[in-house]
Amino acid sequence: MEETTYTLKDYKSDLKPIWCPGCGDFGVLSSLMQALVRLQIPPHKLAILSGIGCSSRLPGYINTYGFNGVHGRAIPLAIGVKLSSPDIKVIAVGGDGDGFSIGAGHIPHAARKNIDMTYIVMNNNIYGLTKGQASPTTPIGEQTKTTFYGNMEEPINPVRMMIAYKASFVARTFSGDPKNATEIITQAIQHKGFSFVEVLSPCPTFRGVEQFKLIREKIQYLTEDYHPSDEVRAFEIANDNDFIRLGIIYRQNRPIYTDIMKKMKEVSQKLGKPEIMDLLKQFEP
Amino acid sequence: MACNNIVVGIAGSGGDGVISAGEILVNASSSDGLFVFMLKSYGAQIRGGESSVRVRMSSDPVATQGDKLDILVVLSWKDYLKFKSEMLLEDHLVIVSDSADKFPEENIPIPEEKRKHWYKIPFTKIAEEAAGTSLAKNIVVLGAISELFGLPKTSLRKSIEKKFAGKKQEVVDKNLNALSAGQEYVKKELKKTDSILFEYTLGEPRLVMEGNEATAFGALYAGVEFYAGYPITPSTEIMHWLSVYLPKYDGVVMQMEDELASINAVVGASFAGKKAMTATSGPGMSLMAEGIGLASIAELPIVIINVQRGGPSTGIPTKTEQSDLMQAIWGSHGDSPRVVLAPSDVEDCFDCTVLAFYIAEKYQLPVIVLSDAFIGHRKESINPNRIRDMRYGFKKINRRLSPTAKELEDYKRYKYTANGISPVTWPGMENGMYQAAGIEHNEYGFPSADVSVHEKMTKKRWMKFHDIKREFSFERFYGSDDAELGIIAWGSTKGAVKEAVAKANANGIKVQAIIPQILYPFLIHPFYQFLRNKKKVIFVEMAYAGAFRRYLRGFIRFGDFHVETISYRQTGGAPFTVGQIYDKIVEEYEKKDA
Repeated sequence: MEETTYTLKDYKSDLKPIWCPGCGDFGVLSSLMQALVRLQIPPHKLAILSGIGCSSRLPGYINTYGFNGVHGRAIPLAIGVKLSSPDIKVIAVGGDGDGFSIGAGHIPHAARKNIDMTYIVMNNNIYGLTKGQASPTTPIGEQTKTTFYGNMEEPINPVRMMIAYKASFVARTFSGDPKNATEIITQAIQHKGFSFVEVLSPCPTFRGVEQFKLIREKIQYLTEDYHPSDEVRAFEIANDNDFIRLGIIYRQNRPIYTDIMKKMKEVSQKLGKPEIMDLLKQFEP
Repeated sequence: MACNNIVVGIAGSGGDGVISAGEILVNASSSDGLFVFMLKSYGAQIRGGESSVRVRMSSDPVATQGDKLDILVVLSWKDYLKFKSEMLLEDHLVIVSDSADKFPEENIPIPEEKRKHWYKIPFTKIAEEAAGTSLAKNIVVLGAISELFGLPKTSLRKSIEKKFAGKKQEVVDKNLNALSAGQEYVKKELKKTDSILFEYTLGEPRLVMEGNEATAFGALYAGVEFYAGYPITPSTEIMHWLSVYLPKYDGVVMQMEDELASINAVVGASFAGKKAMTATSGPGMSLMAEGIGLASIAELPIVIINVQRGGPSTGIPTKTEQSDLMQAIWGSHGDSPRVVLAPSDVEDCFDCTVLAFYIAEKYQLPVIVLSDAFIGHRKESINPNRIRDMRYGFKKINRRLSPTAKELEDYKRYKYTANGISPVTWPGMENGMYQAAGIEHNEYGFPSADVSVHEKMTKKRWMKFHDIKREFSFERFYGSDDAELGIIAWGSTKGAVKEAVAKANANGIKVQAIIPQILYPFLIHPFYQFLRNKKKVIFVEMAYAGAFRRYLRGFIRFGDFHVETISYRQTGGAPFTVGQIYDKIVEEYEKKDA
């Protein structure tokens, strides 16, 4: 039998993105599709889940099982799919508002449980879909529609947060560098466990086209002699405000939830697996 | 006085083993074929605090816990005080108390005329002598009352052996000694002054189940594959039970970080093709409301059990109420169809849960089962054959409709169909890829802000109600159908209504009750039949604001039937008594004659 080879065409859906011209999310979409081609994941063996936001529209642009759910709940949706069908590749996508504001409560739990999934956050430091309010990653002092006098709040550092939450794979990349983004996303999908990718994905509409340039000026790539298994070093990289470090910042191998779950099922079945009706015996007086 | 219907209440502090004693008594009675009904009541304390149990035993079917106690066992009067409003007492009351309790007798809130039969027994001392520990005093109690009132003695021994099975033989023996010691004490030291003597003939053993257990078992029977939930009283036993048994059948139980995560994980699992459910109580339902809307628009089958409690907010979490009706029916946002079922007793918890999965899978929408603490936490004896050939004994529990090979050539997940049901695929199925969406979408699942699409899709989702209403009829009638006085009630109030209606009709007061069990969509036909010759109906509900009556008035113009409506309601906590409902029936019946 001839082996099927999936090309970009196979992953492209008929839907045209609603994103503004120049939006960073185009780059993320194309890098994600490149990664899927590289990994040759059959479109029907993949599920991409999202919440609400500009970037959360992404599942619709890929020909696969997509789910555009409610605001902030991409991760629990993804967990539901992964635990139900462990052989499906599961990717949750969304923005900084969806992930770090309304949905922030779910992240530590998916990370500590080490659910075998990839979570890609397209960070544009602003709420785009609702037209320009401050997000949890908006820099201090920045004027937005809800911070007329300048943002007063310390922004979240997603990478540092994820390392602290024990995500087993933490990386940062930039939508303006498709080569790096494709590489990082590919490795994230390959990672066995909860992999988190922060993609800097500027919003030209509400934060200006110059964002691409400003990010590029500060980029530094992690080199081959960097070992992502060193948690202390990873925090140092995350805390470095002088540069924006791109690459796999932290990685750890530990058992994934679905494997542990499988073992637990085996233990429970070893203790006995009666006919369901025989379970009524326990209610006999 | 020989009797075959007896209500025993036991009150004590948390460490007294009050609930265990109740359970042993219930098991003993059920193995002798008796009908039993057991209600626990306790404070919100984690450990210790006050606790009480009430057991009703009868050779005839019982639908309630019994209004008043024939026998009151008090291990600590201080703790009894906390229950005095829940434990009404018969005039012929017999009190059995621990003689070691130093509580001043003048402060005991029991009137003189009900203190005529009072046995004071040194339970603690007997337990220490017979079993070497005061912990066995609950067993001494069982010995004493079984001797005093003719409760099932042989079966009590067996139930104790079963209860302590797995422990050292020494433990079993000590407890059996405690039982005998209680019996011996009564024989030797007491002179029976009362005349209560329980008499019955042996029957086939019955099962003993709590509502939450029946729900969990029903879910497993219906083929549940995924459960995600967050602990909340009084629903958590459902998750406890499933977490033991579901993995044996390759299912998943996951405790989530909150109810938002729970409902969305359940929606995700359903998207993945699994039969998925969660269970919660009122406050959790509020957090799940958004997810219910999502399941509704994404047309994904999910089952949500709401074991209601007194609210709002934390309210009285260990006690019952029926105040989540409107939340279940309307609670979400937008036009979001869902089905609401209401079990009315423990067996119903099984039926309704099985039915819920059937409806959810067939019609691809959320189904809510509105149980409550009164049903969820009580124990009832159940005919084992009853569960085997339940009312909705579907041979095969349907899974959602799959597309044909031809339909997959140009697969439209949300295809417009005559009945609103479109074929559904899930991840892993080749050529079935589609976009599930909370956003309004076209037939392919792609987003659409087209007004006409929204209208057509909304209609498609609601159209399912048409067939649901045709496929099911699920209500109960009690009493005589030529009665001019009617009662409309739902859920756990059924028991008291059923017994009150039976009593009224036996006394020549004609009254009929209807208990709808599919609350939404609203099935009007049974009501047309019911209202035909009614002049007056009483709505009975355990909710202050009377949402049930308001809800029904939205569907039925009672004025058109020339039917007067009366609302009879109370807040939750203590369930209605038969006497309360009976008195209301008499009151309204006599008004009619006046």
